[in-house]
Amino acid sequence: MVAIPLPALGSQALPPVPGAAAAAGLAEVVEAARAAAGRLPVPTPHDEAWRFTDLSPLARQPWQVDSGAAPTLDAARLAPLELDEAADARLVFVDGRFAPVLSSTAALPSGVRVGALAAMLADGGPAVREHLGRHAAFDVDFFSAVNTARLGEGAAVVCARGVQVPGAVHLLFLSTGRSAPLAIQPRVLVVAGEGSELTVVEEYASLGDSMVFTNAVTECVVEPGATLRHVRLQRENAVSFHVGRCAVSVARDARYRSVAVDIGARLSRLDHAVTLAGEGAEVTRDGLALLDARQHADSHTLLDHAKPHGTSRQLHKCVCDGGSHAVFNGRILVRPDAQRTDSSQQSRALLLSARAQVNAKPQLEIHADDVKAAHGATVGQLDADERFYLASRGLPADQARRLLTYAFAAEVIERIPVRSLVGRLAAQVMARSGL
Amino acid sequence: MSAVLQQLVSQPYKHGFVTDIESDTAPRGLSEDVIRMISARKGEPDWLLQFRLDAYRHWLTMTAPTWQNVSHPPIDYQDIIYYSAPKPKKKLASMDEVDPELLKTFEKLGVPMNERAALAGVAVDVIFDSVSVATTYKAKLAEVGIIFCSISEAVRDHPELIRKYLGSVVPTGDNFYAALNSAVFTDGSFVFIPKGVKCPMDLSTYFRINTQDSGQFERTLIVAEEGSSVSYLEGCTAPKFDTNQLHAAVVELVALDDADIKYSTVQNWYAGDENGVGGIYNFVTKRGLCQGRHSKISWTQVETGSAITWKYPSCVLLGEGSSGEFYSVALTNHMQQADTGTKMIHVGRNTRSRIVSKGISAGRSSNSYRGLVKIGAAADGARNYSQCDSMLIGDRCSASTFPYLTVQNRASVVEHEATTSKIGEEQLFYFAQRGIDAEQAISMIINGFCRDVFIHLPMEFAVEATKLLGLKLEGSVG
Amino acid sequence: MKDPAATTLLEVRGLHATVNGVPILKGLDLTVRAGEVHAIMGPNGSGKSTFSKVLAGHPAYEVTGGEVLFEGRNLFELEADARARAGVFLAFQYPVEIPGVTNSAFLRLAYNAKAAAEGREELDPLEFDDLVREKAKLVEMDPSFLDRSVNDGFSGGEKKRNEILQMAILEPKLAILDETDSGLDIDALRIVAGGVNALSSPARAIVMITHYQRLLNYIVPDHVHVMADGRILKSGDRSLALELEARGYDWVTGAREAA
Repeated sequence: MVAIPLPALGSQALPPVPGAAAAAGLAEVVEAARAAAGRLPVPTPHDEAWRFTDLSPLARQPWQVDSGAAPTLDAARLAPLELDEAADARLVFVDGRFAPVLSSTAALPSGVRVGALAAMLADGGPAVREHLGRHAAFDVDFFSAVNTARLGEGAAVVCARGVQVPGAVHLLFLSTGRSAPLAIQPRVLVVAGEGSELTVVEEYASLGDSMVFTNAVTECVVEPGATLRHVRLQRENAVSFHVGRCAVSVARDARYRSVAVDIGARLSRLDHAVTLAGEGAEVTRDGLALLDARQHADSHTLLDHAKPHGTSRQLHKCVCDGGSHAVFNGRILVRPDAQRTDSSQQSRALLLSARAQVNAKPQLEIHADDVKAAHGATVGQLDADERFYLASRGLPADQARRLLTYAFAAEVIERIPVRSLVGRLAAQVMARSGL
Repeated sequence: MSAVLQQLVSQPYKHGFVTDIESDTAPRGLSEDVIRMISARKGEPDWLLQFRLDAYRHWLTMTAPTWQNVSHPPIDYQDIIYYSAPKPKKKLASMDEVDPELLKTFEKLGVPMNERAALAGVAVDVIFDSVSVATTYKAKLAEVGIIFCSISEAVRDHPELIRKYLGSVVPTGDNFYAALNSAVFTDGSFVFIPKGVKCPMDLSTYFRINTQDSGQFERTLIVAEEGSSVSYLEGCTAPKFDTNQLHAAVVELVALDDADIKYSTVQNWYAGDENGVGGIYNFVTKRGLCQGRHSKISWTQVETGSAITWKYPSCVLLGEGSSGEFYSVALTNHMQQADTGTKMIHVGRNTRSRIVSKGISAGRSSNSYRGLVKIGAAADGARNYSQCDSMLIGDRCSASTFPYLTVQNRASVVEHEATTSKIGEEQLFYFAQRGIDAEQAISMIINGFCRDVFIHLPMEFAVEATKLLGLKLEGSVG
Repeated sequence: MKDPAATTLLEVRGLHATVNGVPILKGLDLTVRAGEVHAIMGPNGSGKSTFSKVLAGHPAYEVTGGEVLFEGRNLFELEADARARAGVFLAFQYPVEIPGVTNSAFLRLAYNAKAAAEGREELDPLEFDDLVREKAKLVEMDPSFLDRSVNDGFSGGEKKRNEILQMAILEPKLAILDETDSGLDIDALRIVAGGVNALSSPARAIVMITHYQRLLNYIVPDHVHVMADGRILKSGDRSLALELEARGYDWVTGAREAA
């Protein structure tokens, strides 16, 4: 097996991607992405968008591109990851490869198609071909270009017009690290048809402790009047690298509610770009980064108000312990046409250790005059009054601190629309807080 | 935009006259020879020539920054006149000796120096093109040990102070425009407040660019020793020319233990016409060093002029318990572009900073707030609060907010808030329905919007600032 | 019923108006005399609010026909602010927020603009403060609101009370209350209505525009008009409102279709 340096990951001629044959209809897109991947340099801190995130540890490492063997996994190892709401509505990918044995979509109502990208490209209807590769711009972004150049493995969820999907669809990307260091390129497409209602949980997790580079690209299309609830959970191991791109287009009167949680990885970066592409679109985008030790998590969000009467609400929280470093860049763009936009963003960061660091950059760019837009950002420590209140009720200082830290994170976790996931994450945060 | 609003925001520039004074002018362009010429004309010591040449050589290796949210055609630095001094250049001992043409200029500017200065109790230094022409009240200030003079005089009379502090806050190679200024600065003001002295009056400088194609590169240095305090005011105007002129000033402030410096600016350089022809490029580096414990530096600015404004008056909060403040109103109209804000660098323990920025965009202008709040690892107990509000008048302008918060210390608190609002037809109708006409309504909304900044201006300037915003936004209604 | 010989304040004849080129008012007639209280009721989209904005002179509405006389004078000759100073007051359905401008400054400017127009003496801040504190009691406003920005961060009820306070200070001849009851709970409605009642006088007329009969339990009208499709279809006394409440708007609008 050959290890390939990062800059060549998308452009170098490589063994065929599994499922690539089915992607033949997208040959032009793949070819353009390959050219872009060859042309675009790996970003450095000299690029404004990467100012606080140094990729050199990722760039230094040559990467394997295929784990070789067909994916296998003991089902028992999967059990703790299963969600009650998504029993038999789950696709599992192991080391970047679809694992049909571990997947089941039996519980889904007719009208919603969930499957591996290859199969969905073949018979998932025109929506897949229409949207795949059309929303995540790869011509200016190295990582999207690499992912698109290697288009093949991934998941597609297509919900037909008016269909309400109970529970959730769980897309689980697991790495076992059998042939580390492995670079995987997961791809997700979600299309919520007109007036439909759908919940998707996109989860990235490690089962081993060896180094993986996940370069994930997700595209979501929310058609008029539809509601898409989207949870993105990244909890890979502390030696891995995770770069995610999520491009979302929200049509007229559609709703997109999203919660993104970053708990894992040594270095993670998520660019979440949501375009309010139709009048009256409504978006909530909440985020949580929970970091410790040497972790670095960088979250860039863009809420792009392109049409009038759009509403967006955003809450982003970072908790940094140890020597960790959180970056939040929250950009709100209100284009000239987007009159009567109502947008607000809150960014809150909590520094628990003397060595932790936060960079926050909330950005407002307003090009329309009839707009209500506001953002607020705070960085600090736990509220002294709250700590005193708990102390006055007899809680030892240390325990009060843990409890308040948990409560700080829980505000975002509780916004996840999947109860079993809320419970699991809450337990994890409590354990981490020593509660 | 309604016709009423349109009218209100279109108001001609009232300071656009050229004064007919003979100038002593350097040839266009920049080279070591030109720098040597400037230095020789000013009779400077060798160390200052070296300071200039070092800056120039550094500047040659640098490129103009591109990250700011403004656009302009490339500047031809060889097409600028770097030195232009009014003749005669003989030392002026009293106001009677000032060229009468100049005095008329100040009358037109609304700055009749002698009367007004006396009435207001303000000491005024005047920088005309590149050279300081008169400093009033010098003798009176000297009685309490305060030095208030042009930089050129200070170089001659107080070389030890200039050598100690010049470039100590903004190093010669700090940024592209600061390096250029360090190489070619021609004059500016110097203020020194000795230990324990509270400056008995506001000090004031008026700057005016008069020669077409000349750049203005003034340099201001204020040093406040232990326990002293000073309030310094700066006003700027320029005549109308249809070419762009470069203004690249450097201002350095040093505050020692318990010292307090308040620096206020009303900037009304020519902004260009409504199609964006002409106007000043105002690329300025202003920085204050709170070196001493419990020292305080406060910047207040009202920016209404210039085709492009690019400035970030900053505070480096080094001394324990020191504090920095930035209060800003930036108004852009027509094709003006402003990318302005501040940097608050918290180094010392228990340092405090407060930022209040109000941006008003009208016409087709672009107005950006850009600010950095950095809390260093040792800045335990540091606190920052920022409030950045934007107001849009009309639907062809834009307002952006780019705050950078970098926090490396857990025992600190940083808070930032930003909002946008507008003056629209519904607001004006509401006022009208209560019997208040559009002109009064706009003036009231703007003053309300800017109140948090205006209260920090010295009374004299607050009146001027209110009038200036009025000039920019109000017109002949009805 | 009030004195039919009282001065005619407002005379609306065949009023037509459009917004963005869409006809909204289509031949509206109305006569209001000093001292009278009128209620204009009607379903959503009937043109009630448009009528109030046309009277007040909102720039988005274009008068395309008919005339309006205020105290015998062509109202449309006056700009919006001049109408206000002449004594036409509109209590807004959605009072506008003006961050940064304090209530006290706003109210005083409005008061003095009207005083100057009438050749009365303007009040300085201290004199005005006495006046406004007195008037604030009418609508049970805490004086602390004077230092707050106009309507900024006010609750729905506070905004409506602020409108009535402004009416109390400006003492208009004609007060138009546009959906003043919307969004109010019973307590707030009682306070607002109490304020309005305290301000009624033989020299002043009040035109209430409302969707619901509820307000009329608190401010009792002399005349009730039902509006639909840009016209007044039916006029009567208080009992008309009760009948409307019982039978719904279809009773009137349907009756028109039948005719």
